[in-house]
This record gives sequence, structure tokens and C-alpha cells, in this order.
Amino acid sequence: MSPAILAQNVTKWYGPRRAVNDVSFAIEHGEIVGLLGPNGSGKSTIFRMLTGYLVPTSGTIEVDGHDVVAESLAVRRAISYVPEDAPLYDHMRVGEFLHFMAIMKGLRGTAARASVDGAARRLDLTRVMTLQTGKLSRGFRQRVSIAQALLGDPRVLVLDEPTSGLDPNQVIAVRDLVQSLAGSRTVLIASHVLPEIEKIASRVMILLDGTLLTADALREKTGGATLRLSAAAPHDAIRRIVTGIAGVRGMDIDSDGAADIARYLIQVQPRPSLAADILAALVGAGIAVSELTECQLDLERVFLDLTRGSARLAA
Amino acid sequence: MRGFAVLLLKEERALFSSPIAYAVMTVFLLIMGYSFTLTLFISHQPSMVHVFFQMFVLFMLTAPLITMRLLAEERKLRTLEVLLTSPVSEAAIVLAKFTASMSLIVMLLLLSGSYPMVLAYFGDPDFGPIYSGYLGLLLFGSALVGTGLLASALTANQVIAALISLSVFLILWIIDNFGWLLPSPADTLVVNLSLAVHFRPFAVGSVYLSDVGFFLSVTLMTLFLTVRALARR
Repeated sequence: MSPAILAQNVTKWYGPRRAVNDVSFAIEHGEIVGLLGPNGSGKSTIFRMLTGYLVPTSGTIEVDGHDVVAESLAVRRAISYVPEDAPLYDHMRVGEFLHFMAIMKGLRGTAARASVDGAARRLDLTRVMTLQTGKLSRGFRQRVSIAQALLGDPRVLVLDEPTSGLDPNQVIAVRDLVQSLAGSRTVLIASHVLPEIEKIASRVMILLDGTLLTADALREKTGGATLRLSAAAPHDAIRRIVTGIAGVRGMDIDSDGAADIARYLIQVQPRPSLAADILAALVGAGIAVSELTECQLDLERVFLDLTRGSARLAA
Repeated sequence: MRGFAVLLLKEERALFSSPIAYAVMTVFLLIMGYSFTLTLFISHQPSMVHVFFQMFVLFMLTAPLITMRLLAEERKLRTLEVLLTSPVSEAAIVLAKFTASMSLIVMLLLLSGSYPMVLAYFGDPDFGPIYSGYLGLLLFGSALVGTGLLASALTANQVIAALISLSVFLILWIIDNFGWLLPSPADTLVVNLSLAVHFRPFAVGSVYLSDVGFFLSVTLMTLFLTVRALARR
């Protein structure tokens, strides 16, 4: 079975500017994947190519086994898209717009009405159905845009900054909505809010200047192979002892703590009693250890490490 | 087909909920009413020939106002992104916009139908040239709308879209005046690009297949290019 989304060596040029550079990734059916990147990194361009709005300069993209260029209509039947900033027809009423989009997506009669009613209920839009979309607040516009994407129960959902402009309660509602789709629908979601992605996505892709830095940030992270150490001794002595223990792959200074205490992050290949071995070695060398715990690197750290590392390489 | 129907309905609503359609109708009826009355009082002839020529010029000036927003506005407001990522073909989107704009052209022609009715009431006009004149205006209008739609597909700025189509219309209106100065066979080629040369026979009661073919070709070619402009992004 082909992946839900398969991009191979995709590049997009806007005139002399390269917006996306040789990007390849695969997303399996039922996965919820986050796409992270600073402004202008090429996230929206990738989304526009996935949904058939833009044509890649080179490379191929398949959605649900259909090529986005050669079988554009089949792709557009399989995928639903929430563009950034929720563009809507301002002269239409909410109900009218949702019904228009339902028919555009091939729904008819009672099926169209049921789909519109269902989406309106899920996004709590029932009380604004008779208002013109042009008179709605930013949050309501965003919800209308998400509601139109749910019409017709699409197999693949592509959401570009779906929670921007929403209040905290609405953010939680959208997060719950996306999580409820896990397993049955494929969701690709872009966001600037890193904790948001961390809560929703099973995997994160990080994009910088049109280049995909990693397609597995959360998987790497959830390998759970980092220990946090707080100890009082010269850095060199601690580094020599710790890196000499079998299973330790590397070590960084996290921050200098109060007094003479320093904090370190130790990357390890997990094995039984590794933490005990480290502790025994340090205590045996007369080093006072105040903390040694397994810690989860947050996504923000992964993102910053990758983007800064890449920027350093570029420099 | 259902996608086309719902798109057409959307376009008709957008067109007739904007002030542009009513402004165009008002200006058109005011100028044509004045022109028809003046022509009738001066010539005392039950003929529509002069009126058709004035409608020809007025169509060139008003068509850009009707077509400028069709795709440029969608591009600027980014609703084109919503439209073009929905499972409807680019051809259906373009045809719906074309048909909606043509409905305003047809409405202007129907409203001007009161002039031949006045002529028939008070005199005995020859209806042959009147029918051919209306056929010519319909075909001419479709070529203008097609060209305006193409101009609107090329930019996100409505004013620029209107200026592009107006410039093309004005050049193709007067191009025969310069075409006669060119050596053969360039003169024939350039003169035959003229909108006026192909419209003139309709206004005086002659329907040539070459003229019908010219306006239909311009319409089909511009619609095809508009679809291509949307498809190759």
C-alpha cells in the first residue's frame, strides 16, 4: 500500500528564488505529522504543492497514490486544506459558504446538509451560521476554514497554522479534534507553536530555508536516551569519567547552576543499570552528584539545535 | 456539472451583489438612451446601425469593469487557493466566471431591446440588420469577456487587469487604421485582427462566417489560455 503522502526530491523555484530545495518525505496512513520551520522556510509552499495549488519545479508528489500534477482532481478529492489566514468569501454567510464547499467537494442533498451540520457542531459554529463570514472575528474565521476542510470526510488533512488566532479553549478544542482523527485520517499540520505540535503530532519534520533538516524529530527524541546530571566538579573531570562509561554517546553542558553546580545533558544508548554505573563512577571519583535523571528533550530544544546548527554550517 | 452550477450561482451572486453591475447598467442605459433618442431625432430613420456602433464602443469601455475582479480579486483575497484546491476542474471555474459575466452582457442587450420595440411601434424597421447587430454584439461581448478574464488571471491587481484588457481592446479597435499602411501581406493580417472590421458587417445586416469565426476563436482561445494560466502555477 502506498503512503498517504510521498514527496520525492521536490524543488520549487519562484523566479530566481528557491523556496523548497530537494525535499523528500513519506507519511503513512493514519499518522499525524507536524511541519515546523521559521517564517519563510517553505512550509506553505510545500502545502500548496501537496494540495495541487502549485506545481513543483522538479520532483514528484503523490497523495493517496495519485500524482498531484497528472491526477490533480483525484488528489483534490482525497485531500482537504486549511490555508494560512483562513481566506473566505466575505459576502457569503457561514452556512452558505459551508454548503457551497460541500457541493464543491461532491456532496449532494441530505449528505451535504448532514456534513455541514456535523462540521458546524464540531467547530461550534451553529450560532454564527447566518452571519456573513466577512463580519466574523479572526477565531471564528479560522474555525469556518477548519470546518470546510472536514466536509466530505477527507482521507488526508493539511492544516497550515490552524490554531492561529484562536483563544486557549478553542486551541484545545482543535487539538482534541485533530487527535480524534489519529489512526483513521492522515494529518499534516504546520504550526509555530512548538508545544502545540508536540502534543498533537507523532512525528515532526523541520524545515529551514526550503531544506528538510529532519523528518523524525519526535521519534529521535522519544528514543528517551538523554540523562540530566547536576554535579559539582571541573567540567573536564566529569566529561572524562562519564564519556568513559560504556553506552554513553556524548555529553553537553546544559547550564551552569548555582554555586559550583553545573548541569549536563548526557546522550546514552539505553541499557540496564547505566544510570547506576554513571553514579557509581562519579561518586567513586569523589564528585558530589545532586541529580541524575532521565529527561525528555523538548521539541523546542530539538528545533533550536537543528536550526542553529544549520545556520552555523551555512555561515 | 453540479460543481459548475454551484460555481455559476456563486459568481452570479457575487456579480449582482456588487455595485459594479448596477453602475455599468445605469451608465450604459443613460448613454445609450441619450444616443438612441438623439440619433432618431436627427436621422428620422427606423435604423439601429448608429446605436450598434455606439454600443460597440461602450462595450469596450465597460467590459473591463465587469471582468477585472473575476480572478484578480480571488487571487488577492487568496480565495483562489480555496477554489483551486477543491475537486472541481479549472475549466469549470473559468466557464462559470465567463457565463456569469456574459449574463450581464445579455442583460444589457435585453434592456436595449426597448429601442427596436420603440422603432417598431412608431415605424417599420428592417429587422434583419437588427437581429444581425444583436448577434454581432453578443459575439463581440463574449470575445471581450474572454479577453478580460485572461487579463484578470494574470495579476492580483484589479486596476492593472482592467488596464490590460482596455489597452488590448483599444489597440484591436483602431489597428485597421494602421494596418492599411503596411505592405502586403502584413496589411491583410493586421487589418483582420481589428474588432471594428469584424463587427461592421453585423451592424449593417451582413453575417459572414469569417466574422463569426473570428469572435468565437478569440473567445475560445482566451478561455483556453485562462484555464492554462490557472493550471500551470
